[in-house]
Amino acid sequence: MSTRQEAGFNLLAIGLASVSITALLGLFYAPSVSAESWESPEAYRILFLHVPFAWSSFLAFTLLFIGAVKWYAKRDENGWIWFQTGSDLGLVFGLGVITSGPIWGSAEWGTPWDWGDLRLNTFALLTAVALFLVLSRRSQADSQETRDTLSAVGLFGFALVPITALATTWYQERHPGVLIIDSEDSGLDPEIKMILLFGFLSMCVVFAGLVRLSNLRYRLAAELVGVKRNLDENSVAAPVELDSEVGS
Amino acid sequence: MGGRILITGEGLVVNRGAREVLRGADFALREGEVVALVGPNGSGKTTLLESLAGLHSLAAGSVRLSLSTYSTVVRDSEGERGSVAGIGLTLQSDAVCGEETVAEHLGHAIRLAGRDDAADALASMLTDWGMSHRAGESVSQLSDGLRRRLAVLCGLAPAALSLEPTICLLDEPSEGLDEASRRLLIGWLRALTARGHGIVIATHDPELTSAADRIITVSGNGRLTSDPGAALGDAVEMVEPSAAQEASAFSEFVSWAWRIEKRNPLDTITRGTPALVALLLTYTMATDIPRTAENHDLLAALVLAPAFIAAVVAPALIKRLAEERSGDWWRAMIGPWSRATFSIMGASFILPIPLTYLAWYVLAGDIDSAVYDEVLRWLWLPPLAMIDISCAAAALHLMVADLRRASAAAGSLLLLVLVWPFLELTSALTTLMDTGMSFELAMGEPILDVLIAAGSAALIWAVAVIIPED
Repeated sequence: MSTRQEAGFNLLAIGLASVSITALLGLFYAPSVSAESWESPEAYRILFLHVPFAWSSFLAFTLLFIGAVKWYAKRDENGWIWFQTGSDLGLVFGLGVITSGPIWGSAEWGTPWDWGDLRLNTFALLTAVALFLVLSRRSQADSQETRDTLSAVGLFGFALVPITALATTWYQERHPGVLIIDSEDSGLDPEIKMILLFGFLSMCVVFAGLVRLSNLRYRLAAELVGVKRNLDENSVAAPVELDSEVGS
Repeated sequence: MGGRILITGEGLVVNRGAREVLRGADFALREGEVVALVGPNGSGKTTLLESLAGLHSLAAGSVRLSLSTYSTVVRDSEGERGSVAGIGLTLQSDAVCGEETVAEHLGHAIRLAGRDDAADALASMLTDWGMSHRAGESVSQLSDGLRRRLAVLCGLAPAALSLEPTICLLDEPSEGLDEASRRLLIGWLRALTARGHGIVIATHDPELTSAADRIITVSGNGRLTSDPGAALGDAVEMVEPSAAQEASAFSEFVSWAWRIEKRNPLDTITRGTPALVALLLTYTMATDIPRTAENHDLLAALVLAPAFIAAVVAPALIKRLAEERSGDWWRAMIGPWSRATFSIMGASFILPIPLTYLAWYVLAGDIDSAVYDEVLRWLWLPPLAMIDISCAAAALHLMVADLRRASAAAGSLLLLVLVWPFLELTSALTTLMDTGMSFELAMGEPILDVLIAAGSAALIWAVAVIIPED
């Protein structure tokens, strides 16, 4: 195992362990919230995973955006590697958000989804864009045209990030406001805030581990493509002719 | 040449629109010969070769295949059809779907020919053709030249692995191949004929023509003239024949379609997305509707709408079959039941029932609990008939896909006919909500409504499957 790969796996292991600790802290240590303010007060504990998932997905889409810009500006192979990693992780963390969110929504709102809420819907769209990118990358020939088209879609997808992030401030329907920023006014318990931050840092470590491993994988895949192209040339060896009585 | 005749075309008349491309053409291929079809563009070389594979309807004449293992009428002007599974076929397009891997595609061609696709035989052929390092790669990642190499190899492999003489039909096999691959192709052609196989090549390539034992010129007036060929080129070492095994074109196609959908779940996504959007809209629309008996019919329609939308969406399979004409290759292999097979495999089997239950959970709201429980018990019944509707929709989409410019045809207009079975299902669900389940076979009872819906959809399916065939 290479040093890079080892570092990636170590980061991933530490991150996953920390995320597990976050989940345990959220379940057993975090204080209960007011039963009068919430329909289903205990369900809030899933937010210790939901919120870090959401923030990490924004990081993934930022990575995708930087990769797309680097690909467009310089036709940089590293940019394309970042783009691929960003779309993969955007999908993984996005799915984390849109599965954990509706679980909480079902308990708190009585419905898993609110189609009138801007943040929910732009986030679903963001995840759909990531799914489109992942499936398209796998199904299309890896040509410059394909990369240009998918990068353009990636840039469009990133435009949804600030809209999604600010949606609760601009156009709040059902989704709660931004927890950390609003905490001073909303009186968020310091222990809850601490666990949330710990959860986010843990998810960041998972994210860093996955980025490292994914970048390494795509770098190796790019090298492999080069090796195969070299093999393609002269890959048909001179055939061995049969004896004349068979061939004639 | 005195070998046994492997395939014959007698009095072939093939029309393309108003033009008669072949006029009473007679053709025979014997064991151990390479026949090159030559002639100017548009003369009918490809039409003749594809007619031998049973891909064109014949205005007159018949094509008969007589291998030592089986004989069949490939196609005749009376409407009789058979499959050519067992022969090698390379179309002018590569006939591969981008989602397949190189080894999978070759494996299908070999198994369909009734030969064992043993790993060592597969590896040996891929090595000979310079593709062993690409074996696990999806075809979409190959260059045009490599894809052509794979298509040609798939046309030759059934014969290469067959002990008994069989035939290969190759349309422009050298097109896009590099010099080394062309030499290898000629070496394989000579080696295959030495083993008694018969090969037909439609080509413009003089080098390949010079390797033929017989040259048939297809002239612009649709007539054939035959001349002896030079039979140049030396046979090369080739993979040894493999064991025979049972082949089922139908099960091969099912496994092909299923594997591709698993790899890229385009069909599920293409159907699921509009269905979920429909559910979203119906949820919004239904918010203010009181869940009372007067509104049961509306509620039933809203509950069934997402599954109906998922059922009538154009199957992803149609796009896959259109890719590089892979559908034509499968059509030749499956034979007369290809259209029925495609339409059934293209239908949505999995989504209608879960979508209908999901819609019911979302839309039932505060409906009376007795109604809720009764509907929940029998809700699977209408979407079961929806599978019939989906088969009919797939058959209609396939019919439209046959048009030369299918993308320019408003095929959705044909789908309107499926609204009728949908309304029958709506009526069945309404009755379920109003009076509960009854097993009486009377008008207005749920069972009969569902049967009418399923029957009418099956009728539409049958019409769309049978009429376009001869």
